[in-house]
Amino acid sequence: MVDQVHKEFRKRDLLYSGALWLLSLILPDPQLHYRREYQFRKRDLIYFLTIIALPMIWSDPHFHHIMVLAGIHAILALGLTLFLGYAGQISLGQAAFFGIGAYTMAILTTRCGVPSLPAFWASGLTASFFAYLIGRPILKLKGYFLALATLGFGEIFLVMVRESPGLTGGVIGIFDIPYFSLAGFIFDTYLKQYYLIWGILMGLALFSKNLIRSKMGRAFLAVASSEDGASAVGIDVSRIKLSVFVIGAAFAGLAGSLFASVMSTANPETFSLNLSVLIVMMVILGGMGNLYGPIAGAIFLTWLINGLSRYQEYSLPIYGVILILLLVFFPDGIGTRLRVRLIYLISYSGRKRRREKVEL
Amino acid sequence: MDIWATIPQLLTSGITFGAIYALVGLGFVTIARASQIINFAQGEFVMLGGMITFFLLNKIHLPYPLAALLAILIVVLIGFLLHLLVIYPLRKASLPILLMATLGASLFLSSASALFFGTLPKALPPFSARAPFEIGNISISPQSLWVLVAAFLTLFSLYLLSHRLLLGKAMEASSTDPLGADLTGISRNLMIFLAFGVSAGIGSVAGIFITPIFYVSYYSGTLIGLKGFIAAVLGGWGKHSGAILGGFALGVVESLSVAFIPSGYKDGVAFAILLLILYFRPKGILGSPFIDSRRW
Amino acid sequence: MFLSVEEIVKHYDGVMALNRISLQVRRGTVKGLMGPNGAGKSTLFHLISGMEKPDSGRICFMEKEITGLQTHEISRFGVGRTFQTLQVWGNMTVVENVLTGMHTRIRGGFLSTGLYLPWIKKSEEIAIKEAKEILELFGLFGRWKWFASQLSYGEQRRLEIARGLAAKPDLLLLDEPAAGLTYPEAKQLAQTLSRLKEAGLTLFLIEHHMGMVMEIADEVAVLNNGELLAEGPPDMVKSDPSVIEAYMPRK
Repeated sequence: MVDQVHKEFRKRDLLYSGALWLLSLILPDPQLHYRREYQFRKRDLIYFLTIIALPMIWSDPHFHHIMVLAGIHAILALGLTLFLGYAGQISLGQAAFFGIGAYTMAILTTRCGVPSLPAFWASGLTASFFAYLIGRPILKLKGYFLALATLGFGEIFLVMVRESPGLTGGVIGIFDIPYFSLAGFIFDTYLKQYYLIWGILMGLALFSKNLIRSKMGRAFLAVASSEDGASAVGIDVSRIKLSVFVIGAAFAGLAGSLFASVMSTANPETFSLNLSVLIVMMVILGGMGNLYGPIAGAIFLTWLINGLSRYQEYSLPIYGVILILLLVFFPDGIGTRLRVRLIYLISYSGRKRRREKVEL
Repeated sequence: MDIWATIPQLLTSGITFGAIYALVGLGFVTIARASQIINFAQGEFVMLGGMITFFLLNKIHLPYPLAALLAILIVVLIGFLLHLLVIYPLRKASLPILLMATLGASLFLSSASALFFGTLPKALPPFSARAPFEIGNISISPQSLWVLVAAFLTLFSLYLLSHRLLLGKAMEASSTDPLGADLTGISRNLMIFLAFGVSAGIGSVAGIFITPIFYVSYYSGTLIGLKGFIAAVLGGWGKHSGAILGGFALGVVESLSVAFIPSGYKDGVAFAILLLILYFRPKGILGSPFIDSRRW
Repeated sequence: MFLSVEEIVKHYDGVMALNRISLQVRRGTVKGLMGPNGAGKSTLFHLISGMEKPDSGRICFMEKEITGLQTHEISRFGVGRTFQTLQVWGNMTVVENVLTGMHTRIRGGFLSTGLYLPWIKKSEEIAIKEAKEILELFGLFGRWKWFASQLSYGEQRRLEIARGLAAKPDLLLLDEPAAGLTYPEAKQLAQTLSRLKEAGLTLFLIEHHMGMVMEIADEVAVLNNGELLAEGPPDMVKSDPSVIEAYMPRK
């Protein structure tokens, strides 16, 4: 990371500096896991209050709706960042677990009349059960082959969904899934859904942060960096990988069930490879090994897609170009790159002053 | 109807499919032999090959061979551009980023071609306009034979490239030991650049040969690409002969599966085979020079 | 017997890496393992620590057979190890590397750490305190906030030993701990190791530095081409003609 920084100070860095300083107050720390924060900081409180206050400031229902989607994507990205950002394994099958969660919710609530909350937990459990089954054989693979195997699982899931109309409604999908309801309180407006989803997201983020700041997080990072070293100190590498995979899948399943209850429909087109790619992009652009970054990445990409949708048939090519450009210019995450630039600026001015002093 | 009566016909169509997968797989192998990169936009080269030929033939009214040749050149150019604009800037990036970049490129190429050439499926006229051969009750279209010929010609020329020419050796060296290749004066970036061109060329040839058999539309590249990759893994990742063998094996198994399970599951069969082969023998049928059993 | 290796055989594609090797390590002693390159020393360590499986023979640790177990299981029996090619985790700080070394000793599963139950917090705090003590012992305390990847080569070597020690093993396998170190660094390392030996730890180390082995080892075994050439106290091994032959073959 550090060696990619330009060694020379450039004039145009001055242009960035003001905006960057402001950004740095809210941007997630790019090297969060290096300086692991064992305590909660002021920054966490700022995030929390922003999430609470945002829909009150912006009372536009469209904004609420997009933020609801962004929240669902953020849960997905949070699950994947444990697997990809921390444990260093890649998965292109998150959309399948998302779909499993959505269909579990849909089937349980529409066919069996199960209340929302048990169905919500059941979808997380179902997704993690499938992750356990599929993860045991494929997690011994690495790199491209792991990516391909998870992608294959996603495609098989789609084929299964399309070909069993009795259970999943086939290509058409399932309609009229009831809104999420909790003890008689129905989440039927976008505002209510916003608080539901971001509340759940905060709970899951807290859970992840606790994992990351304790021995489990260290084990993830150890597995990502050197598996031999990890097993030499008694870490069961395959079990850690499987557990992270299962946790990520459970997050995806929970997100899926929320998605089904918010959108009231579930159909196979939603859970295609494109969604998996999108989730991985959120994690990469948010920064690897970082918990808040992927959430920011999810918000950013959801708004990007929403903004592009008005260009209709041009939206997909533009989207592809933007993805590639973002990857080329911010390969280690948008926040990280800006932050590194900023750190460099600060250290540069410090060094310059010192140098002048020496010359005097 | 008796299942067994359909088997010979399924077998022949399986072999045709197999030749296609083999051709696409060879494209993957070419890049992998030069750089260990897996280019998920490979399927788009196939789609573009067919699409551009169709465009040149029907809109600009070029003669068929000229249109095909020009299409191959254009796709090779796209392959070079893909390397220069996407892969080269990311040469130091980690694996997930490269993976995402090629997937993004694939998304861009397919959606852009929908924009340029329209969303309707297209088919080229067959190369030789004669009736299908009839052997017993099996009919073989002449185009299938063309595809077979193309697959074996490509295999042969790739074999020459990698085993008889210094360039092929240099490509292989830059894949297996990048630093060592750099130190002996092989330009690794040039090797990858050339490999992208060659693989785009192979992809477009595959596209031109199969478009007379199947309709090609803007979204069909992704699936063909994935199946070609599965074929390459099945036969032995990184081996030309492996890609050919894997392609035929995959094509035949996939076609025969139609006789036993509902045809909707046909696309799932390839991925099920992928999961099985990755689990039980990640080296593939012929073994792979790039995968040792401990690391994968 | 503390660690006993019995009749171990290991082939690699027809090449005999280890041929019926038997040796023992007694509790509380330091055993050196020497031999020219390619003699099979690292292979023996891989077999003991479970990274590879022997073709035949058995390995017992504290009267229990550990042959064919997985690396992490063997590590939980109390066998720690370091690597010839460094395997420190560059994406973590120095103190976190040591804390991860204590993985098996810190309580908590996925659910309890996720909920950060009170005892997790307590055991984390104890672990951090202990990690800093270990870093102090290896002279890395001043660097505890650094990334492991920012350390110099010698410091990374020390960090790896510190990490191996953090798991509180009964036996520590050190694969060339002094490789690439400067003379003063190696000397300092030898002092640290003899202090560990006084504290009751059993060490089994591969080493090329003749002086260092002679200084701290109680017993030395010499391997050559997969055969055990000599075993015994350092002075005796040093004067063994077959050892001299192996290291300095006559023209």
